[in-house]
Amino acid sequence: MQISEFILSPLLALIIGIFFLGLARKIMARIHWRYGPPITQPVIDIIRMFSQKAISHGSIFNFGLIFSLTGSIVVILFLPIGKMCPLSSGGLLVILYLMLLAPLGIALSSGEAANPNSSIGVSRKFLLALGYEVPFLLILLAVMAHYHTISLIEIVRIQANTGWSFGSLPLVLSGIAYFLILPAILGMRPFEISGAAQEISSGPKVEFGGKFLAFSTIQHALHEFIGISLFVNLFLGGWDLFGILEPISNTIWGIILGIIIFLIKMVIIFIIELFINAVFPRFRIEQAMKYLWKWPTLLSFIGLLIVVLFN
Amino acid sequence: MTLELLLIVAFGGAFLTYFLGKISSSLRNGFAVLNALALVVMTAFLYGQTVEKNLHFGFLGMPFVLRINMLSWFFAITIVGIGLLSIIYSLKYIENGKKLDFYYFTTLLINASMLGTVICGDLISFYMFWEIMSWSTYLLISYKGGDKALFAGIKYIIMSIIGSLAMLVGIISLYTHFGTLEISTLAIQIQGASLNYILFILIMFSTAFIIINAFWPLHIWLPDAHAEAVSPFSSILSAVLVRKGMYGLYLFMYVILGLNILNRLKFGFISFTGVFCWIGAITIVFAALTALLQNDSKRILAWSTVGQGGYMILGVAFVTPLGMAGGTFHILNHCIYIALLFFVAGAIEYRTGGIRDLNSLGGLIKKMPVTFIGGLVGIFGLIGLPLTNGFVSKWLIYKTLILGNRPFLAFAAFLGTWGTVLYGYKFIHNIFLGQLPEKYKNIKEVPFTMRIPIIILTILVFLFGILPGIPLKVINAIGISLGFESLDVTLWGIASETGTLNTINIFAAILIVGIIIWLIFKAGRKAPKVDQYDNYAAGSAIPKNKYNYTVDYYYPFTKMISPYLKDIFDLFYTKIANTVQKLCNSTRKIYTGYVGSYVMYIVLFLAILILVQLKWGVF
Repeated sequence: MQISEFILSPLLALIIGIFFLGLARKIMARIHWRYGPPITQPVIDIIRMFSQKAISHGSIFNFGLIFSLTGSIVVILFLPIGKMCPLSSGGLLVILYLMLLAPLGIALSSGEAANPNSSIGVSRKFLLALGYEVPFLLILLAVMAHYHTISLIEIVRIQANTGWSFGSLPLVLSGIAYFLILPAILGMRPFEISGAAQEISSGPKVEFGGKFLAFSTIQHALHEFIGISLFVNLFLGGWDLFGILEPISNTIWGIILGIIIFLIKMVIIFIIELFINAVFPRFRIEQAMKYLWKWPTLLSFIGLLIVVLFN
Repeated sequence: MTLELLLIVAFGGAFLTYFLGKISSSLRNGFAVLNALALVVMTAFLYGQTVEKNLHFGFLGMPFVLRINMLSWFFAITIVGIGLLSIIYSLKYIENGKKLDFYYFTTLLINASMLGTVICGDLISFYMFWEIMSWSTYLLISYKGGDKALFAGIKYIIMSIIGSLAMLVGIISLYTHFGTLEISTLAIQIQGASLNYILFILIMFSTAFIIINAFWPLHIWLPDAHAEAVSPFSSILSAVLVRKGMYGLYLFMYVILGLNILNRLKFGFISFTGVFCWIGAITIVFAALTALLQNDSKRILAWSTVGQGGYMILGVAFVTPLGMAGGTFHILNHCIYIALLFFVAGAIEYRTGGIRDLNSLGGLIKKMPVTFIGGLVGIFGLIGLPLTNGFVSKWLIYKTLILGNRPFLAFAAFLGTWGTVLYGYKFIHNIFLGQLPEKYKNIKEVPFTMRIPIIILTILVFLFGILPGIPLKVINAIGISLGFESLDVTLWGIASETGTLNTINIFAAILIVGIIIWLIFKAGRKAPKVDQYDNYAAGSAIPKNKYNYTVDYYYPFTKMISPYLKDIFDLFYTKIANTVQKLCNSTRKIYTGYVGSYVMYIVLFLAILILVQLKWGVF
């Protein structure tokens, strides 16, 4: 079981992540009253891009991208998907730090491209990250302080026993705050600032072509997977669905059903985010930071205060 | 004998270097390196020894005590290690400088005096070594000359004197109270003292150590001093000299007072260590945000030195085994990567003719790959990415804070890390990435002797990140000697009942996944390498030297925060300094320098005396 988890977990994330990309295009098209591309379009694109010609700007240009994709996959190895979690040492703190690898890799790679568009994109990406990290960290700290553990598996397990943290009184504000910053984490509108296609030619991606573009697309897909699955794990109880898996929790069917429940939760959250994405225009970076440091921060701050006072 | 020998070699070597310099410069250089190397070897052999030696030829009839234990050894090895690398680096870096005999002499003297502060066992010699260190540092900060360097030196020495005086008051008070200044005797006798007295002593000494450690709000000397000093010395300054303040805090908080008293120092809900924790938290956030506004490569690093100090004190002041280990480990880690980064900044200066302005560099990765890797790894360590040493110590500190139910402190620490990501990337991007300006087309990698320290430190960052057990074993021994319970340290990390850290997992995962992805990348169609001008510009021609985005890299943000982020304490202290100066200037009006006016003062004074005598007859 252990070994298969190491292969299954990234593979599942990859499939779901790319499925999300296809789903996003389809749903957006339907909201726009278009027919839209088939849902498998991203897969076709990635395969096509691998066979296309690309240029490289140097060794860090190559290394950064490999580094960033590696970072994303390693994070997934540390994330519980249902009950499947290949690695667990160090808990949420390690996940938090491993999540730095991917943006840094992309930043290094597109930095060497020597294109101001990509530099502006990276600058915006980091600023946006600074914007949402403030509430994000407060939220994570509230959860860790409330459950008094730094292990994500433990957090999911306790939720299965005591109910989702989104529904528990001390953590509900933190949950709402996470939901408010989720578009920023995923880089969707109104926070599609770093990859703004019309302003800065897709930002960090501007010099990527061929296999580089394929890699960065896969990385983007995995990133969306990570952002949403963290939300599901932290606030929506992971694999738990009001205890219906209780009788079969240790059988192989229990594990498979757990994964399916987990993925269904993810899809629902993603679709809600898509609706937000469809109707909003794009913020400017300073507007985004002001927003992120106002409402979500306030909510998460009060959330953390409640947790500290109630414990 | 070895401890005395160590001091004799350290001080004697410094003086001998100076005189050898009068004979031949290459002899001096060779001897300086050999001397620094000898110190490293001798200190390394002292590993694990616990010796205390009483030499009866001390100052003012008080004995001169030398001692070494795990804590002293830990600090001593960082001092001599960084000292050696810095001397090797200096060989080429400062080749054409002026007053080189003086430079090597002072550097070695600072090393020797720092070594003295950690291996002496009584407070009077501690104070003397401390003063030698402060004054020689002052000389070396102003070594380059020019208004800025002189100002930085003056700023440093004034702050330093204030700290030393506070410490002197504390020492004299301790002597009158207990009649001894031996650390081991004091540690026993002070247990009976009243809490108020202990608090007074602690505040006196802490002032000195907070100043040298550059914690907010006494940080103001550091950015100027680090930026203006020559780069090899900035490394020493930032990596080890500043952390003598941490050594002092260990000495007073843990060695002399001990855990027992420390836990009793509470007044209502305000505890002494709690205040320290908050000072640390404010230091972290303030320094991280201020570093974002800097455009000078060495000033960024200087501010990060201020900020990283906050992590150390957060760990150390938390008074738990895990926090203690984290804080101590962070001292070592910071020492490694900040020295590395100052060497990198120095290498850039060396090749570009003293350019530190981040707005005018770029693209140097193509010309200086070794320096780039050094800088990148240093920044990774500073951020604390997994597999670098900074990660393990930060993990320990965060875990302590979260499990200790102090999430707001943990939040400050986390936020500081994000600030670090931003300014760290700016450092890398503006120097090494982006477009290479035409004027730097012909520069080369730095010479071999300057590359050696960079390479060694780069390896150390990864070594201690992947095998944190090596230093943690020493740190655990320190913790035990200070009265903490032992931690379950393995070569790969640290285990405890509330979650373990195992770096081998992370290392293996990143390595294997990385190789697989690299193979897939290789399997794709080969991408030919193109020139920097072969770039997307929406169809228009690419202007040379101008197709770049580096100036004000985080403009939207810096515009937002800069009105709120004033260093009020700097302004406040400068204002005090100016007022004092005005006051002194007005006294100068009385001391005109003319004999005539002095005679007049004397006559006037006598006249007043005579008047008083005639009128009231008091004499």
